[in-house]
Amino acid sequence: MDLTLKLKRKKPRHSLVARVLHWLYAPSVLTCIWSGFYINRPAKIYGFRNMNSAQKAHFIAQFTLIFAFLARVYYAFQKKNYKEILPNRQTIQNLPRFVRYELFLNSKKPQFPKYNPGQKLLFTGFVLLLPLQILTGLALYFQDSWQKTTKIAKGLNYLRQLHFLVALGNAILVAGHLYFVFTQGFKTLKSIFTGYK
Amino acid sequence: MGLDGPESKTKPVVLWLGTNTCAGDLLSFLNNNNPGYQTWVNDYVDLRYDYLLGVSQGPQNIEILDSTLADLPGRYILIVEGTIPTNSYEFCSVIGIKNSEYWTALQAVRELGAKAGHIIAAGTCAAFGGPYAAAPNPTGSVPLQAILRERTVINVPGCPINPEWLMGTINHLILYGVPELDSLNRPRLFYGQTIHDQCQRRAHFDNGVFAENPGEPWCMYKLGCKGPTTYADCPSRQWNTEHVSWPVKANTPCIGCTSPEFPDGDMPFFEHLPDVELPGIRMQANQVGRWAGLFTALGIGSHLAANIVTGRLAGNYKRDLASSRRKRLLKKKILRKKF
Ligand code: HEM
Ligand code: HEM
Ligand code: SF4
Repeated sequence: MDLTLKLKRKKPRHSLVARVLHWLYAPSVLTCIWSGFYINRPAKIYGFRNMNSAQKAHFIAQFTLIFAFLARVYYAFQKKNYKEILPNRQTIQNLPRFVRYELFLNSKKPQFPKYNPGQKLLFTGFVLLLPLQILTGLALYFQDSWQKTTKIAKGLNYLRQLHFLVALGNAILVAGHLYFVFTQGFKTLKSIFTGYK
Repeated sequence: MGLDGPESKTKPVVLWLGTNTCAGDLLSFLNNNNPGYQTWVNDYVDLRYDYLLGVSQGPQNIEILDSTLADLPGRYILIVEGTIPTNSYEFCSVIGIKNSEYWTALQAVRELGAKAGHIIAAGTCAAFGGPYAAAPNPTGSVPLQAILRERTVINVPGCPINPEWLMGTINHLILYGVPELDSLNRPRLFYGQTIHDQCQRRAHFDNGVFAENPGEPWCMYKLGCKGPTTYADCPSRQWNTEHVSWPVKANTPCIGCTSPEFPDGDMPFFEHLPDVELPGIRMQANQVGRWAGLFTALGIGSHLAANIVTGRLAGNYKRDLASSRRKRLLKKKILRKKF
């Protein structure tokens, strides 16, 4: 086969849409975490000028996130690529192998279809926690008009607490995701920018 | 034929029942001005029953309540202050003795509530449970609405109420009917906006100027101020009869006493968020955050250390470096072939 074709025909690891959406929701989530923790307990180290700017950052990021999250979910169903992201029976079967490798009990790197079981579990965490984050956030943001909804949480203070605890969960997931990404070498990292490994 | 003479016929009849309560709302109500309590009782209403200030006693009391129930069904205003206890055969609150038996608060509220024209829950306990239903709630206390499910209970919360919230609600009922209510049945007239949105220190909040200790004249947010989650008009109406002050103006945070989750959900008063409760553990929300951060850092840190020590991390990067060098060479080869 012609070498040119061999290079060109390779399917990208991440499609353009997936990459664009990743670079919409990733900064939004990071901004929400950063500004959210400032809102929870204002301190100089976050670098926000004041509460007003932290709230503005949170509010802009939150709506970008909502848009990007919904778009990604729609795209996942349309292209059926949720199969690459969500765990399946194979993932569970692969899990012991993966854990042994990650605990340095096995030195040969196992191969997995696209994402390793660890990344898959983290992504599933996002799929579960981000909707909760968005719903509790919306109920806080529209607290006047959504007063009935707040009743489910038994009051605004409990709603805030829930939003905060879910944010902790999301922050842990992001930390895990970034750790995987930055320790796998730079080609995976490159792939989320260029699409190719 | 009115109990208090002929002139009372034209004045609306009011019954003020005290159940499990500290009497704080009635005492606060006495601080009204324009109209004051005395004027109100003389000119505005026919206050037939008042659990604290009434002159009647014992059987007389029961007679007043019974005859109002019989003579004026649907035409009296019932004010209830306090929770309705349901444990211990409801004996934690007894209104009096009727037919030689205890007439419990639960029975009284059911009977009087069923036939009242309007029902007002005065104070956070009657409205939402409040301190008398706070965990672990030994008396099994419930708010008024939980007993009178099919009736509209107008909730006038506050611990205690601002005198004008109740005076205004009653007078609105008399003059114009039921005021506009929010989804927790509080009159929007008084509970339409958050404390935070009317606070004199809002500019300090926006500018990030926070008090670190009670007594400082800045925004009380970092001292656990519940202004952002609390609906009431304290900052504009203010307290002490002459509208002179309110908690934040007195350099202490709002504790959120008009909220349905008060006091459990507003505690600790000097913390931003309520404690996280799991079976057997109780922890401050920020402490949960600190532990979560510590565990994540430890987990990632130790894995990273192992990753470095075993040389796996360096291996991953070397592998990528080598393969991209190969690819570059391949590209060069293709280009050389083409041209
Ligand atoms: C991953 C995404 C998000 C994270 C990590 C996050 C995190 C946080 C945190 C930690 C707080 C402080 C809570 C407190 O202690 O009171 C907060 C506040 C808040 N968040 Fe989020 N949030 C996220 C997304 C959203 C979304 C999608 C919305 C709404 C649509 C939202 C709306 C709000 C609002 C209204 C507040 C209260 C702000 C205030 O009181 O000034 N958040 N967020
Ligand atoms: C600067 C921060 C980030 C970087 C450098 C980064 C990098 C990456 C990389 C390299 C991949 C591809 C992994 C692979 O091909 O094996 C990826 C995928 C992914 N990342 Fe991130 N990420 C970041 C932040 C985030 C955040 C905050 C989220 C939170 C929601 C997130 C969610 C995801 C998801 C869901 C995927 C799968 C994408 C898909 O298959 O379409 N990332 N990220
Ligand atoms: S003192 Fe309380 S109510 Fe006033 S601006 Fe600060 S947080 Fe809001």
